[in-house]
Amino acid sequence: MEVRDRILVIEDDKSIRNFLHAVLEANDYDVIMAHTGTEAYSLITSRCPDLVILDLGLPDMDGMKILKNVREWSSMPIVVVSARTHEKDKVTALDMGADDYITKPFGTSELLARIRTALRHTRTGASAPGLKESGTFVSGSFVIDFDKHRVFVEGKDAGLTQNEFKIVSLLGRYAGRVLTYDYIMKEIWGPHMKNDNQILRVNMANIRRKIEKNPAQPEYIFTEAGVGYRMIEGD
Amino acid sequence: MKRKSKWADVGKNCFITIIILAAASAICFLLQRLVATDTHVPLIFVLTVLFISRLTSGYLYGIAASLLAVIFVNYVFTYPYFKFDFTITGYPLTFLTMLAVALCVSALTTQIKRQEQIRLDIEKEKMRGNLLRAISHDIRTPLTGIVGSASAIIDNHQVLSDERKLELTEDIRDEGQWLIRVVENLLSVTRINGNTTELTTNPELVEEIADSAVRKFKKRFPDVKVKIHIPAEVFLVPMDAVLIEQVIVNLLENSALHGKTTSVINIGIRKQEQTVLFEIEDDGIGIKSEILPVMFEGGLHAHDEEESDSGRNMGIGLSVCMSIVKAHGGNMKAENKKAGGAKVSFYLPAGKE
Repeated sequence: MEVRDRILVIEDDKSIRNFLHAVLEANDYDVIMAHTGTEAYSLITSRCPDLVILDLGLPDMDGMKILKNVREWSSMPIVVVSARTHEKDKVTALDMGADDYITKPFGTSELLARIRTALRHTRTGASAPGLKESGTFVSGSFVIDFDKHRVFVEGKDAGLTQNEFKIVSLLGRYAGRVLTYDYIMKEIWGPHMKNDNQILRVNMANIRRKIEKNPAQPEYIFTEAGVGYRMIEGD
Repeated sequence: MKRKSKWADVGKNCFITIIILAAASAICFLLQRLVATDTHVPLIFVLTVLFISRLTSGYLYGIAASLLAVIFVNYVFTYPYFKFDFTITGYPLTFLTMLAVALCVSALTTQIKRQEQIRLDIEKEKMRGNLLRAISHDIRTPLTGIVGSASAIIDNHQVLSDERKLELTEDIRDEGQWLIRVVENLLSVTRINGNTTELTTNPELVEEIADSAVRKFKKRFPDVKVKIHIPAEVFLVPMDAVLIEQVIVNLLENSALHGKTTSVINIGIRKQEQTVLFEIEDDGIGIKSEILPVMFEGGLHAHDEEESDSGRNMGIGLSVCMSIVKAHGGNMKAENKKAGGAKVSFYLPAGKE
Protein backbone atom coordinates (compact mmCIF):
# COMPACT_ATOMS: atom_id res chain seq x y z
CA MET A 1 0.00 0.00 0.00
CA GLU A 2 1.13 3.50 -0.81
CA VAL A 3 2.24 5.60 2.11
CA ARG A 4 -0.17 8.48 2.54
CA ASP A 5 0.91 11.97 3.52
CA ARG A 6 -0.13 12.78 7.06
CA ILE A 7 -1.70 16.19 7.59
CA LEU A 8 -2.26 17.78 10.98
CA VAL A 9 -5.15 20.24 11.04
CA ILE A 10 -5.04 22.72 13.93
CA GLU A 11 -8.41 24.41 14.00
CA ASP A 12 -10.77 25.27 16.84
CA ASP A 13 -14.02 25.49 14.89
CA LYS A 14 -15.83 22.15 14.81
CA SER A 15 -17.60 22.49 11.47
CA ILE A 16 -14.47 23.65 9.69
CA ARG A 17 -12.59 20.73 11.26
CA ASN A 18 -15.31 18.38 10.05
CA PHE A 19 -15.29 19.58 6.50
CA LEU A 20 -11.49 19.67 6.29
CA HIS A 21 -11.40 16.13 7.63
CA ALA A 22 -13.89 14.97 5.01
CA VAL A 23 -12.18 16.73 2.12
CA LEU A 24 -8.65 15.71 3.03
CA GLU A 25 -9.56 12.10 3.68
CA ALA A 26 -11.46 11.95 0.40
CA ASN A 27 -8.27 13.14 -1.28
CA ASP A 28 -6.24 10.33 0.21
CA TYR A 29 -4.47 12.09 3.03
CA ASP A 30 -4.01 10.67 6.49
CA VAL A 31 -5.65 13.31 8.68
CA ILE A 32 -5.09 14.08 12.34
CA MET A 33 -6.91 16.85 14.19
CA ALA A 34 -6.07 19.22 17.01
CA HIS A 35 -8.35 21.90 18.35
CA THR A 36 -6.03 23.59 20.82
CA GLY A 37 -2.42 24.71 20.67
CA THR A 38 -1.35 22.40 23.48
CA GLU A 39 -2.83 19.39 21.73
CA ALA A 40 -1.15 20.53 18.51
CA TYR A 41 2.28 20.61 20.16
CA SER A 42 2.09 17.05 21.39
CA LEU A 43 0.75 15.77 18.05
CA ILE A 44 3.48 17.55 16.08
CA THR A 45 6.19 15.88 18.13
CA SER A 46 4.56 12.46 18.55
CA ARG A 47 2.99 11.88 15.12
CA CYS A 48 5.41 13.77 12.85
CA PRO A 49 2.94 15.08 10.24
CA ASP A 50 4.13 15.75 6.68
CA LEU A 51 2.24 19.03 6.63
CA VAL A 52 0.47 21.26 9.12
CA ILE A 53 -2.60 23.39 8.48
CA LEU A 54 -2.61 26.01 11.18
CA ASP A 55 -5.46 28.36 12.07
CA LEU A 56 -3.94 31.48 13.61
CA GLY A 57 -6.88 32.12 15.92
CA LEU A 58 -6.79 29.41 18.60
CA PRO A 59 -8.55 29.46 21.96
CA ASP A 60 -5.54 28.77 24.19
CA MET A 61 -2.67 30.46 22.38
CA ASP A 62 -1.67 32.55 19.42
CA GLY A 63 -1.07 30.39 16.36
CA MET A 64 2.06 32.45 15.65
CA LYS A 65 3.62 30.97 18.77
CA ILE A 66 3.25 27.45 17.40
CA LEU A 67 4.70 28.55 14.09
CA LYS A 68 7.70 30.16 15.73
CA ASN A 69 8.28 27.22 18.02
CA VAL A 70 8.12 24.59 15.27
CA ARG A 71 10.39 26.61 12.99
CA GLU A 72 13.10 26.49 15.64
CA TRP A 73 13.64 22.79 15.05
CA SER A 74 11.79 21.73 11.91
CA SER A 75 11.16 22.88 8.36
CA MET A 76 7.98 20.83 7.94
CA PRO A 77 5.57 22.65 5.61
CA ILE A 78 3.04 24.81 7.43
CA VAL A 79 0.06 26.36 5.67
CA VAL A 80 -1.52 29.14 7.69
CA VAL A 81 -5.27 29.85 7.71
CA SER A 82 -6.29 33.41 8.49
CA ALA A 83 -9.41 35.55 8.43
CA ARG A 84 -9.76 38.44 6.03
CA THR A 85 -9.69 41.04 8.75
CA HIS A 86 -6.12 40.24 9.68
CA GLU A 87 -4.15 40.95 6.53
CA LYS A 88 -1.02 41.84 8.45
CA ASP A 89 -1.05 38.41 10.09
CA LYS A 90 -0.45 36.77 6.72
CA VAL A 91 2.69 38.79 6.11
CA THR A 92 3.95 38.17 9.62
CA ALA A 93 3.25 34.46 9.33
CA LEU A 94 5.05 34.21 5.98
CA ASP A 95 8.00 36.18 7.27
CA MET A 96 8.13 33.88 10.28
CA GLY A 97 8.51 30.86 8.05
CA ALA A 98 5.03 29.72 7.07
CA ASP A 99 5.11 28.08 3.64
CA ASP A 100 1.83 29.51 2.44
CA TYR A 101 -1.40 30.98 3.65
CA ILE A 102 -5.03 30.68 2.76
CA THR A 103 -7.75 33.16 3.64
CA LYS A 104 -11.12 32.30 5.13
CA PRO A 105 -13.47 31.70 3.43
CA PHE A 106 -11.58 29.38 1.10
CA GLY A 107 -12.66 26.80 -1.45
CA THR A 108 -11.56 23.20 -1.16
CA SER A 109 -9.83 23.17 -4.55
CA GLU A 110 -7.78 26.19 -3.49
CA LEU A 111 -6.78 24.49 -0.26
CA LEU A 112 -5.81 21.24 -1.97
CA ALA A 113 -3.68 23.12 -4.50
CA ARG A 114 -1.82 24.90 -1.69
CA ILE A 115 -1.23 21.62 0.11
CA ARG A 116 0.14 19.95 -3.03
CA THR A 117 2.47 22.88 -3.70
CA ALA A 118 3.78 22.96 -0.15
CA LEU A 119 4.36 19.19 -0.10
CA ARG A 120 6.12 19.24 -3.46
CA HIS A 121 8.41 22.03 -2.36
CA THR A 122 9.65 20.07 0.65
CA ARG A 123 10.07 16.96 -1.50
CA THR A 124 12.25 18.77 -4.03
CA GLY A 125 13.95 20.77 -1.32
CA ALA A 126 12.96 24.10 -2.80
CA SER A 127 12.44 25.51 0.65
CA ALA A 128 16.19 25.36 1.11
CA PRO A 129 17.56 28.77 0.19
CA GLY A 130 19.51 29.34 -2.99
CA LEU A 131 18.21 26.39 -4.94
CA LYS A 132 18.04 26.27 -8.70
CA GLU A 133 20.55 28.94 -9.59
CA SER A 134 21.12 27.32 -12.96
CA GLY A 135 19.13 25.67 -15.72
CA THR A 136 15.71 26.88 -16.80
CA PHE A 137 12.23 27.42 -15.42
CA VAL A 138 9.44 26.69 -17.88
CA SER A 139 5.73 27.36 -17.65
CA GLY A 140 3.97 27.16 -21.00
CA SER A 141 5.62 29.63 -23.34
CA PHE A 142 7.28 31.43 -20.44
CA VAL A 143 10.93 30.53 -19.87
CA ILE A 144 13.48 31.79 -17.36
CA ASP A 145 17.06 30.98 -18.38
CA PHE A 146 19.03 31.25 -15.12
CA ASP A 147 22.41 30.82 -16.88
CA LYS A 148 21.95 33.41 -19.60
CA HIS A 149 20.09 35.80 -17.30
CA ARG A 150 17.26 36.10 -19.80
CA VAL A 151 13.52 35.66 -19.81
CA PHE A 152 11.78 34.45 -22.95
CA VAL A 153 8.10 34.74 -23.80
CA GLU A 154 6.97 32.77 -26.84
CA GLY A 155 10.59 32.38 -27.86
CA LYS A 156 11.34 36.09 -27.77
CA ASP A 157 13.67 37.80 -25.29
CA ALA A 158 11.53 39.97 -23.02
CA GLY A 159 14.38 42.47 -22.60
CA LEU A 160 14.29 42.73 -18.82
CA THR A 161 16.70 45.00 -16.99
CA GLN A 162 19.13 43.64 -14.40
CA ASN A 163 16.83 44.25 -11.43
CA GLU A 164 13.75 43.09 -13.30
CA PHE A 165 15.47 39.81 -14.08
CA LYS A 166 16.55 39.42 -10.45
CA ILE A 167 12.93 39.79 -9.31
CA VAL A 168 11.59 37.36 -11.91
CA SER A 169 14.24 34.74 -11.24
CA LEU A 170 13.67 35.00 -7.49
CA LEU A 171 9.96 34.38 -7.98
CA GLY A 172 10.80 31.60 -10.45
CA ARG A 173 13.01 29.81 -7.93
CA TYR A 174 10.09 29.73 -5.51
CA ALA A 175 7.39 29.28 -8.16
CA GLY A 176 3.97 28.55 -6.71
CA ARG A 177 4.84 30.17 -3.41
CA VAL A 178 3.97 33.66 -2.33
CA LEU A 179 6.97 35.85 -1.52
CA THR A 180 6.30 38.89 0.63
CA TYR A 181 7.19 42.41 -0.52
CA ASP A 182 9.68 42.67 2.34
CA TYR A 183 11.40 39.43 1.43
CA ILE A 184 11.78 40.42 -2.23
CA MET A 185 12.96 43.93 -1.30
CA LYS A 186 15.67 42.50 0.96
CA GLU A 187 16.80 39.93 -1.61
CA ILE A 188 17.07 42.43 -4.46
CA TRP A 189 18.00 45.75 -2.88
CA GLY A 190 19.64 44.55 0.32
CA PRO A 191 18.65 45.04 3.95
CA HIS A 192 19.25 48.78 4.06
CA MET A 193 16.60 49.80 1.57
CA LYS A 194 13.99 52.00 3.19
CA ASN A 195 10.85 50.22 4.18
CA ASP A 196 8.78 51.31 1.21
CA ASN A 197 7.88 48.84 -1.51
CA GLN A 198 6.91 51.38 -4.17
CA ILE A 199 10.06 50.75 -6.16
CA LEU A 200 9.24 47.03 -6.24
CA ARG A 201 5.65 47.71 -7.32
CA VAL A 202 6.77 49.95 -10.15
CA ASN A 203 9.37 47.40 -11.25
CA MET A 204 6.68 44.73 -11.23
CA ALA A 205 4.37 46.92 -13.33
CA ASN A 206 7.17 47.29 -15.88
CA ILE A 207 7.97 43.57 -15.84
CA ARG A 208 4.33 42.78 -16.53
CA ARG A 209 4.29 45.19 -19.43
CA LYS A 210 7.16 43.20 -20.91
CA ILE A 211 6.13 39.61 -20.23
CA GLU A 212 2.33 39.55 -20.00
CA LYS A 213 -0.12 39.74 -22.91
CA ASN A 214 -2.41 41.94 -20.84
CA PRO A 215 -0.42 43.38 -17.92
CA ALA A 216 -3.66 44.08 -16.06
CA GLN A 217 -4.63 40.39 -16.16
CA PRO A 218 -1.33 38.56 -15.66
CA GLU A 219 -0.86 34.88 -16.49
CA TYR A 220 2.57 34.34 -14.95
CA ILE A 221 3.09 36.56 -11.93
CA PHE A 222 0.11 37.13 -9.64
CA THR A 223 -0.42 39.74 -6.97
CA GLU A 224 -1.46 38.69 -3.51
CA ALA A 225 -2.97 42.00 -2.44
CA GLY A 226 -1.24 43.49 0.57
CA VAL A 227 1.12 40.50 0.87
CA GLY A 228 3.39 39.99 -2.11
CA TYR A 229 3.79 38.17 -5.44
CA ARG A 230 3.45 34.58 -6.56
CA MET A 231 4.70 33.02 -9.78
CA ILE A 232 2.71 30.34 -11.55
CA GLU A 233 3.91 26.74 -11.02
CA GLY A 234 6.40 25.41 -13.53
CA ASP A 235 5.50 22.61 -15.94
CA MET B 1 -3.20 62.95 16.21
CA LYS B 2 -5.82 64.13 18.73
CA ARG B 3 -3.34 66.37 20.50
CA LYS B 4 -2.28 68.00 17.27
CA SER B 5 -5.84 68.90 16.31
CA LYS B 6 -6.39 70.31 19.81
CA TRP B 7 -3.46 72.66 19.41
CA ALA B 8 -4.64 73.57 15.96
CA ASP B 9 -8.00 74.44 17.55
CA VAL B 10 -6.39 76.69 20.13
CA GLY B 11 -4.42 78.40 17.39
CA LYS B 12 -7.50 78.92 15.29
CA ASN B 13 -9.50 80.37 18.19
CA CYS B 14 -6.69 82.74 19.21
CA PHE B 15 -6.38 83.83 15.61
CA ILE B 16 -10.11 84.61 15.35
CA THR B 17 -10.03 86.52 18.64
CA ILE B 18 -7.06 88.64 17.62
CA ILE B 19 -8.36 89.37 14.13
CA ILE B 20 -11.78 90.51 15.36
CA LEU B 21 -10.28 92.64 18.12
CA ALA B 22 -7.93 94.23 15.61
CA ALA B 23 -10.79 94.91 13.22
CA ALA B 24 -12.83 96.54 15.99
CA SER B 25 -9.90 98.77 16.98
CA ALA B 26 -9.40 99.77 13.37
CA ILE B 27 -13.05 100.76 13.07
CA CYS B 28 -12.85 102.76 16.30
CA PHE B 29 -9.75 104.58 15.10
CA LEU B 30 -11.50 105.47 11.88
CA LEU B 31 -14.64 106.64 13.63
CA GLN B 32 -12.61 108.69 16.07
CA ARG B 33 -11.48 110.85 13.17
CA LEU B 34 -14.99 111.29 11.81
CA VAL B 35 -17.07 111.66 14.97
CA ALA B 36 -16.35 113.91 17.90
CA THR B 37 -17.85 111.75 20.65
CA ASP B 38 -16.63 108.37 21.83
CA THR B 39 -19.92 106.88 23.04
CA HIS B 40 -19.88 104.37 20.18
CA VAL B 41 -16.62 102.77 21.35
CA PRO B 42 -17.98 100.57 24.15
CA LEU B 43 -20.88 99.53 21.92
CA ILE B 44 -18.56 98.43 19.14
CA PHE B 45 -16.54 96.41 21.60
CA VAL B 46 -19.65 94.77 23.04
CA LEU B 47 -20.46 93.72 19.49
CA THR B 48 -16.87 92.47 19.12
CA VAL B 49 -17.14 90.33 22.23
CA LEU B 50 -20.40 88.92 20.89
CA PHE B 51 -18.79 87.92 17.59
CA ILE B 52 -15.81 86.36 19.28
CA SER B 53 -17.96 84.34 21.65
CA ARG B 54 -20.03 83.08 18.72
CA LEU B 55 -17.11 82.16 16.49
CA THR B 56 -14.82 80.49 19.04
CA SER B 57 -15.45 77.34 21.04
CA GLY B 58 -15.80 77.44 24.82
CA TYR B 59 -16.12 80.35 27.25
CA LEU B 60 -12.46 81.20 27.54
CA TYR B 61 -11.99 83.33 24.44
CA GLY B 62 -15.12 85.45 25.00
CA ILE B 63 -14.10 86.23 28.57
CA ALA B 64 -10.54 86.99 27.58
CA ALA B 65 -11.81 89.22 24.79
CA SER B 66 -14.10 91.15 27.13
CA LEU B 67 -11.24 91.69 29.57
CA LEU B 68 -8.93 92.81 26.78
CA ALA B 69 -11.64 95.02 25.33
CA VAL B 70 -12.29 96.77 28.65
CA ILE B 71 -8.61 97.43 29.23
CA PHE B 72 -8.14 98.49 25.65
CA VAL B 73 -11.12 100.85 25.62
CA ASN B 74 -9.96 102.39 28.87
CA TYR B 75 -6.39 102.82 27.65
CA VAL B 76 -6.90 103.96 24.10
CA PHE B 77 -10.33 105.30 23.45
CA THR B 78 -11.45 107.09 26.57
CA TYR B 79 -10.11 110.30 27.96
CA PRO B 80 -7.30 110.49 29.07
CA TYR B 81 -6.14 108.77 25.85
CA PHE B 82 -3.31 106.22 26.18
CA LYS B 83 -3.56 106.26 29.93
CA PHE B 84 -5.40 104.05 32.39
CA ASP B 85 -8.08 105.73 34.40
CA PHE B 86 -10.28 103.34 36.32
CA THR B 87 -12.24 106.11 38.03
CA ILE B 88 -14.39 106.98 35.00
CA THR B 89 -18.07 106.93 35.84
CA GLY B 90 -19.90 103.84 34.67
CA TYR B 91 -16.70 102.02 34.01
CA PRO B 92 -17.48 98.91 36.08
CA LEU B 93 -20.86 98.78 34.34
CA THR B 94 -19.26 98.69 30.89
CA PHE B 95 -16.99 95.89 31.98
CA LEU B 96 -19.81 93.89 33.54
CA THR B 97 -21.95 94.34 30.43
CA MET B 98 -19.22 93.02 28.19
CA LEU B 99 -18.57 90.09 30.50
CA ALA B 100 -22.27 89.25 30.64
CA VAL B 101 -22.54 89.40 26.85
CA ALA B 102 -19.52 87.14 26.50
CA LEU B 103 -20.88 84.58 28.93
CA CYS B 104 -24.40 84.57 27.50
CA VAL B 105 -23.30 84.23 23.91
CA SER B 106 -20.77 81.53 24.74
CA ALA B 107 -23.44 79.59 26.59
CA LEU B 108 -25.83 79.95 23.66
CA THR B 109 -23.17 78.93 21.16
CA THR B 110 -22.23 75.89 23.17
CA GLN B 111 -25.87 74.91 23.38
CA ILE B 112 -26.39 75.31 19.64
CA LYS B 113 -23.30 73.22 18.93
CA ARG B 114 -24.49 70.54 21.30
CA GLN B 115 -27.86 70.41 19.60
CA GLU B 116 -26.21 70.10 16.21
CA GLN B 117 -24.15 67.22 17.52
CA ILE B 118 -27.26 65.51 18.83
CA ARG B 119 -28.97 65.96 15.47
CA LEU B 120 -25.94 64.43 13.71
CA ASP B 121 -25.85 61.53 16.14
CA ILE B 122 -29.53 60.84 15.58
CA GLU B 123 -29.00 60.86 11.82
CA LYS B 124 -26.06 58.48 12.12
CA GLU B 125 -28.08 56.22 14.39
CA LYS B 126 -30.92 56.25 11.85
CA MET B 127 -28.50 55.29 9.05
CA ARG B 128 -27.07 52.50 11.13
CA GLY B 129 -30.56 51.28 11.93
CA ASN B 130 -31.54 51.24 8.26
CA LEU B 131 -28.40 49.37 7.38
CA LEU B 132 -28.98 46.82 10.13
CA ARG B 133 -32.56 46.25 9.01
CA ALA B 134 -31.47 45.81 5.41
CA ILE B 135 -28.71 43.43 6.46
CA SER B 136 -30.80 41.27 8.74
CA HIS B 137 -33.24 40.99 5.85
CA ASP B 138 -30.41 39.96 3.56
CA ILE B 139 -29.09 37.45 6.05
CA ARG B 140 -32.31 35.88 7.22
CA THR B 141 -33.43 34.58 3.83
CA PRO B 142 -30.30 32.60 2.97
CA LEU B 143 -30.06 31.32 6.54
CA THR B 144 -33.59 29.98 6.29
CA GLY B 145 -32.56 28.30 3.06
CA ILE B 146 -29.47 26.74 4.60
CA VAL B 147 -31.22 25.41 7.68
CA GLY B 148 -34.16 24.21 5.57
CA SER B 149 -32.06 22.38 3.00
CA ALA B 150 -29.83 20.81 5.64
CA SER B 151 -32.79 19.61 7.68
CA ALA B 152 -34.42 18.26 4.53
CA ILE B 153 -31.36 16.12 3.87
CA ILE B 154 -30.97 14.95 7.46
CA ASP B 155 -34.66 14.13 7.98
CA ASN B 156 -35.16 12.41 4.63
CA HIS B 157 -31.76 11.01 3.77
CA GLN B 158 -33.20 7.54 3.20
CA VAL B 159 -35.87 8.58 0.73
CA LEU B 160 -34.12 11.37 -1.15
CA SER B 161 -32.37 10.51 -4.38
CA ASP B 162 -28.68 11.29 -4.73
CA GLU B 163 -29.42 13.98 -7.29
CA ARG B 164 -31.91 15.63 -5.00
CA LYS B 165 -29.41 15.58 -2.15
CA LEU B 166 -26.74 17.06 -4.37
CA GLU B 167 -29.14 19.77 -5.46
CA LEU B 168 -29.94 20.65 -1.86
CA THR B 169 -26.28 20.76 -0.85
CA GLU B 170 -25.51 22.95 -3.84
CA ASP B 171 -28.20 25.32 -2.57
CA ILE B 172 -26.54 25.34 0.83
CA ARG B 173 -23.21 26.21 -0.76
CA ASP B 174 -24.72 29.02 -2.84
CA GLU B 175 -26.55 30.51 0.12
CA GLY B 176 -23.35 30.33 2.15
CA GLN B 177 -21.48 32.16 -0.58
CA TRP B 178 -24.12 34.84 -0.57
CA LEU B 179 -23.71 35.22 3.20
CA ILE B 180 -19.96 35.55 2.80
CA ARG B 181 -20.57 38.41 0.42
CA VAL B 182 -22.92 40.17 2.82
CA VAL B 183 -20.44 39.78 5.65
CA GLU B 184 -17.56 41.08 3.55
CA ASN B 185 -19.59 44.19 2.88
CA LEU B 186 -20.38 44.51 6.55
CA LEU B 187 -16.70 44.32 7.40
CA SER B 188 -16.03 47.09 4.92
CA VAL B 189 -18.65 49.24 6.59
CA THR B 190 -17.07 48.80 10.00
CA ARG B 191 -13.76 49.82 8.48
CA ILE B 192 -15.05 53.14 7.24
CA ASN B 193 -17.80 53.86 9.74
CA GLY B 194 -17.20 56.73 12.06
CA ASN B 195 -14.38 59.05 11.19
CA THR B 196 -13.72 59.02 7.46
CA THR B 197 -10.32 60.62 7.88
CA GLU B 198 -9.09 57.47 9.62
CA LEU B 199 -8.91 55.55 6.35
CA THR B 200 -5.45 54.01 6.04
CA THR B 201 -4.31 54.47 2.47
CA ASN B 202 -1.19 53.18 0.77
CA PRO B 203 0.01 53.90 -2.74
CA GLU B 204 -1.30 50.98 -4.81
CA LEU B 205 -1.00 49.92 -8.43
CA VAL B 206 -4.57 50.20 -9.72
CA GLU B 207 -4.05 47.34 -12.19
CA GLU B 208 -3.15 44.95 -9.35
CA ILE B 209 -6.26 45.87 -7.39
CA ALA B 210 -8.47 45.47 -10.45
CA ASP B 211 -6.92 42.09 -11.25
CA SER B 212 -7.35 40.68 -7.77
CA ALA B 213 -10.97 41.89 -7.78
CA VAL B 214 -11.55 40.17 -11.12
CA ARG B 215 -9.97 36.93 -9.88
CA LYS B 216 -12.29 36.95 -6.86
CA PHE B 217 -15.26 37.61 -9.10
CA LYS B 218 -14.24 34.85 -11.50
CA LYS B 219 -14.42 32.29 -8.73
CA ARG B 220 -18.13 32.94 -8.41
CA PHE B 221 -18.95 33.78 -12.01
CA PRO B 222 -16.55 31.80 -14.19
CA ASP B 223 -18.69 32.25 -17.32
CA VAL B 224 -18.65 36.03 -17.48
CA LYS B 225 -15.74 37.45 -19.49
CA VAL B 226 -13.96 40.37 -17.88
CA LYS B 227 -11.39 42.50 -19.59
CA ILE B 228 -9.26 45.16 -17.91
CA HIS B 229 -7.95 48.06 -19.96
CA ILE B 230 -5.08 50.07 -18.48
CA PRO B 231 -2.85 52.79 -19.87
CA ALA B 232 0.81 52.10 -20.66
CA GLU B 233 1.83 54.57 -17.98
CA VAL B 234 2.36 53.11 -14.49
CA PHE B 235 0.70 54.95 -11.66
CA LEU B 236 0.21 54.43 -7.96
CA VAL B 237 -2.94 55.75 -6.29
CA PRO B 238 -3.37 56.17 -2.54
CA MET B 239 -6.16 53.88 -1.37
CA ASP B 240 -7.25 51.22 1.06
CA ALA B 241 -6.65 48.25 -1.24
CA VAL B 242 -9.10 45.89 0.42
CA LEU B 243 -11.93 48.40 0.27
CA ILE B 244 -11.43 49.42 -3.35
CA GLU B 245 -11.16 45.76 -4.31
CA GLN B 246 -14.49 45.29 -2.54
CA VAL B 247 -16.00 48.12 -4.58
CA ILE B 248 -14.91 46.56 -7.87
CA VAL B 249 -16.07 43.08 -6.84
CA ASN B 250 -19.48 44.48 -5.85
CA LEU B 251 -19.84 46.32 -9.12
CA LEU B 252 -18.84 43.26 -11.16
CA GLU B 253 -21.25 41.01 -9.28
CA ASN B 254 -23.96 43.57 -9.71
CA SER B 255 -23.37 43.60 -13.44
CA ALA B 256 -23.53 39.82 -13.59
CA LEU B 257 -26.55 39.40 -11.30
CA HIS B 258 -28.74 42.31 -12.29
CA GLY B 259 -27.57 42.71 -15.87
CA LYS B 260 -29.17 39.26 -16.39
CA THR B 261 -27.83 38.80 -19.92
CA THR B 262 -24.33 40.05 -19.10
CA SER B 263 -21.63 38.06 -20.89
CA VAL B 264 -18.79 40.56 -21.16
CA ILE B 265 -17.69 43.22 -18.65
CA ASN B 266 -15.05 45.80 -19.50
CA ILE B 267 -13.10 47.61 -16.81
CA GLY B 268 -11.40 50.76 -18.03
CA ILE B 269 -8.92 52.61 -15.83
CA ARG B 270 -7.41 55.93 -16.84
CA LYS B 271 -5.99 59.10 -15.43
CA GLN B 272 -8.14 62.17 -15.80
CA GLU B 273 -6.50 65.35 -14.59
CA GLN B 274 -5.98 64.92 -10.83
CA THR B 275 -8.15 61.80 -10.55
CA VAL B 276 -8.12 58.18 -11.60
CA LEU B 277 -11.31 57.09 -13.31
CA PHE B 278 -12.66 53.53 -13.16
CA GLU B 279 -15.38 52.59 -15.63
CA ILE B 280 -17.21 49.28 -15.44
CA GLU B 281 -19.36 48.58 -18.49
CA ASP B 282 -21.45 45.50 -19.25
CA ASP B 283 -23.63 44.24 -22.07
CA GLY B 284 -26.59 43.28 -19.87
CA ILE B 285 -30.13 44.63 -19.82
CA GLY B 286 -29.11 47.89 -18.18
CA ILE B 287 -30.44 49.61 -15.08
CA LYS B 288 -34.14 50.45 -14.75
CA SER B 289 -34.68 54.18 -14.97
CA GLU B 290 -36.62 54.35 -11.70
CA ILE B 291 -33.73 52.74 -9.83
CA LEU B 292 -30.98 54.91 -11.30
CA PRO B 293 -31.42 57.94 -9.03
CA VAL B 294 -31.68 55.95 -5.77
CA MET B 295 -29.44 52.96 -6.39
CA PHE B 296 -26.59 54.16 -4.19
CA GLU B 297 -28.79 54.89 -1.20
CA GLY B 298 -29.10 51.42 0.23
CA GLY B 299 -32.88 51.16 0.20
CA LEU B 300 -33.67 49.33 -2.99
CA HIS B 301 -36.38 47.11 -1.53
CA ALA B 302 -39.27 49.38 -2.32
CA HIS B 303 -38.15 50.07 -5.86
CA ASP B 304 -37.14 46.56 -6.69
CA GLU B 305 -40.20 44.55 -5.81
CA GLU B 306 -40.09 42.11 -8.67
CA GLU B 307 -36.60 40.98 -7.81
CA SER B 308 -37.11 40.84 -4.08
CA ASP B 309 -38.75 37.46 -4.48
CA SER B 310 -35.30 36.04 -4.06
CA GLY B 311 -35.05 38.08 -0.90
CA ARG B 312 -31.86 39.82 -1.84
CA ASN B 313 -30.69 42.89 -3.62
CA MET B 314 -27.45 44.68 -4.05
CA GLY B 315 -28.69 47.86 -2.40
CA ILE B 316 -26.36 47.37 0.52
CA GLY B 317 -23.46 46.50 -1.74
CA LEU B 318 -23.94 49.66 -3.74
CA SER B 319 -24.36 51.97 -0.78
CA VAL B 320 -21.23 50.40 0.70
CA CYS B 321 -19.42 51.12 -2.59
CA MET B 322 -20.59 54.70 -2.46
CA SER B 323 -19.44 55.25 1.12
CA ILE B 324 -16.07 53.65 0.39
CA VAL B 325 -15.49 55.84 -2.66
CA LYS B 326 -16.65 58.95 -0.78
CA ALA B 327 -14.39 58.14 2.15
CA HIS B 328 -11.52 58.20 -0.35
CA GLY B 329 -12.63 61.65 -1.51
CA GLY B 330 -14.09 60.41 -4.78
CA ASN B 331 -17.55 59.94 -6.24
CA MET B 332 -19.57 57.44 -8.20
CA LYS B 333 -22.31 57.45 -10.80
CA ALA B 334 -24.31 55.05 -12.93
CA GLU B 335 -25.89 55.34 -16.35
CA ASN B 336 -27.24 53.25 -19.20
CA LYS B 337 -25.25 53.13 -22.39
CA LYS B 338 -26.94 54.11 -25.64
CA ALA B 339 -25.86 50.86 -27.22
CA GLY B 340 -27.35 48.89 -24.31
CA GLY B 341 -25.92 47.69 -21.03
CA ALA B 342 -25.01 49.59 -17.90
CA LYS B 343 -22.00 51.69 -17.06
CA VAL B 344 -20.95 52.48 -13.51
CA SER B 345 -17.99 54.77 -13.03
CA PHE B 346 -16.15 56.11 -10.02
CA TYR B 347 -13.10 58.21 -9.53
CA LEU B 348 -10.47 58.53 -6.79
CA PRO B 349 -8.11 61.44 -6.21
CA ALA B 350 -4.80 60.52 -7.83
CA GLY B 351 -2.68 61.84 -4.98
CA LYS B 352 0.45 63.87 -5.50
CA GLU B 353 3.15 62.58 -7.77
